[in-house]
Amino acid sequence: MSEAVRVVVPDEVKGGSGLSPGARVVALALAETLFSTEAGPPPPERLAWLGDDLDDFFAHAGGRSRGVFLLCITAINLVAPLFIGRVGSFASLPLDERHTALTRFEASPAGLAFFGAKAALCIVWYEHPTAAREVGFDGLCLKRSA
Amino acid sequence: MSGGYYSARDHVGALRLDCDVVVVGSGAGGSVVATELAASGLRVIVLEEGPRIEGPLHGQMRPSESMRHAWRDGAFTAAVPLGDTPAINVTMGRCVGGSSVLTGGVCFRVPGAVLHEWQRELGLEDYSEAGLDPYVRHVERAIHVEEVPVGMRSRSTALFVEGAERLGVPIKAIRRNTKDCNGCGRCNFGCPHGAKMSVDLSYLPRAVAHGADVWSHALVDRVVTRNGRAVGVVGRILNRPGGAPGDRLEVRARRVVVAAGAWHTPSLLRRSGVGHPRWLGRQMTLHPGFRVLARFARPVRGWQGALQSAYTDAFEHEGITLMGLFVPTGVLGATMPGVGAEHVAAASQIGHLAMFGGIIHDSGGGSVHRGPGREPVVTYRMAPGDRAKIPRVITLLAETFFAAGAEEVFIPVLGLRGLDADAFRKTDLARVPASRIECASQHPLGSARMGCSRENSVVDPDGRVWDTRELYVADGSVVPTSLGVNPQLSIMTVATRFAWRMRERALPPLD
Repeated sequence: MSEAVRVVVPDEVKGGSGLSPGARVVALALAETLFSTEAGPPPPERLAWLGDDLDDFFAHAGGRSRGVFLLCITAINLVAPLFIGRVGSFASLPLDERHTALTRFEASPAGLAFFGAKAALCIVWYEHPTAAREVGFDGLCLKRSA
Repeated sequence: MSGGYYSARDHVGALRLDCDVVVVGSGAGGSVVATELAASGLRVIVLEEGPRIEGPLHGQMRPSESMRHAWRDGAFTAAVPLGDTPAINVTMGRCVGGSSVLTGGVCFRVPGAVLHEWQRELGLEDYSEAGLDPYVRHVERAIHVEEVPVGMRSRSTALFVEGAERLGVPIKAIRRNTKDCNGCGRCNFGCPHGAKMSVDLSYLPRAVAHGADVWSHALVDRVVTRNGRAVGVVGRILNRPGGAPGDRLEVRARRVVVAAGAWHTPSLLRRSGVGHPRWLGRQMTLHPGFRVLARFARPVRGWQGALQSAYTDAFEHEGITLMGLFVPTGVLGATMPGVGAEHVAAASQIGHLAMFGGIIHDSGGGSVHRGPGREPVVTYRMAPGDRAKIPRVITLLAETFFAAGAEEVFIPVLGLRGLDADAFRKTDLARVPASRIECASQHPLGSARMGCSRENSVVDPDGRVWDTRELYVADGSVVPTSLGVNPQLSIMTVATRFAWRMRERALPPLD
């Protein structure tokens, strides 16, 4: 599985817009929190890959999917800090506070918004060759050139 | 005479076409009608909103690439819940071949009990097992329906079968539309080998060989009617940046067949001012589906083997069907609870997870409404009886996996950690709020239902929209009740019946 190549569908209309810079910041702050371990946050290049691929995803998947994702991450960005008594944006919090805020947000009645955002992040994240190897996925059937 | 595949994306200026029959939508229903009519010598045009993705490309796409290119809204479509109902993620195709490209290939005939209900309650006298037999056999030959051999089952499915056998639950082999399948387990992201006989491979090439033209990126806004007769369609071709609607599309036709799927057909008919408002966009059924993941000590690698190969109808009397399935690692990752190290640790066990699902034979609480833009908004109010089945589905799945030796299960409750057998049995599932339950559907049906009278339906038993001549509907929206099983073969069977009846009727001249 190539790390950078994305399939080009010949019968596809080009030029759709993906994530805005602001949405990308929030999405990557969320991803950094979600995929951090005791060893620390994931490598910046992995996050950059995720950001680029999410951008491509929403450029092709259309406005409605982008809207749903933006709704989810905006809810997290504004509401999650309240769960730790902070006012402001989730993306501006330090990693350990983001972790606590997100854990509480997930358990709250607003957890569906986290699930929506998490779905998009995870679907792309676990396709990265390194992540696939980590979970033991062997890429069976994927016939793309390196 | 040979037709062809055309991309409206490449067309500059207004696109105006004439034909005998225009078919709106290229999925399981539309492709069947288009092929049968083209083979009878009619000049057919198929209009598809999405792109055409040729077979080999499916093998090169990661699942998320398939979602962004071939699925409607990148698979982010949802039915808005009303009352005590979970939000339901409803996935559909948006490409040449429609959702048939993205199914697990599962083929069931319309269950006999369902046909009896149609006869009894809707007066569909011709819809008996014997009456449908010629059509279903015809389709089964065309798409090569075969039973999945036991040896092709994934370990995920085999473990569930082990548990079921210990509990005395009979398991049956699934039939699928496959040919030379090697069981690589990713049917629902487009078959990488061209082994799944979806309609883009099994039907549309024949339609084209008989002269049909298939246009991608062609968005239909409404059916044009004149003096109570459908005379064509108008819309836009998606040739602006990002696939936005651009130049005008006009197709004059002697007959119009709408096959845009249960989600979009009602909206299209409503915009066109046709269809009985009492039933149009009402009574949609979804087969709300729930999955349970089970972690085993030994590796499972559930992605190796046929995606769907076994099921049980032992609980059909309760309105529940249990069925094998699997999803990509990324989707599994999304269902793993927690944040940070906890989530990553859970996700590292993905290779040890087995999965099985259950669908509810629902009673129809879906409604299609006009949305803020062109896309409809669908609401779904789950009937109390259906809602009460959710804990039962989850319990059946979880206990079967425990019988097979699962160490813990992950049930479809947002954020809930894995539960061992004791913890699971202490969990009061009936008290879990609907807002925390994960639910998915791949089977929207019934929003332009078929019946024997304009008082109980939108279309007649031959697919004709009541009170509008030469306008037909041929997709899942005509299926009048929930089937309790995957609907692909049923939709194709009904579409074949409609097409053969259409062939017998003379066409009027172009208006």
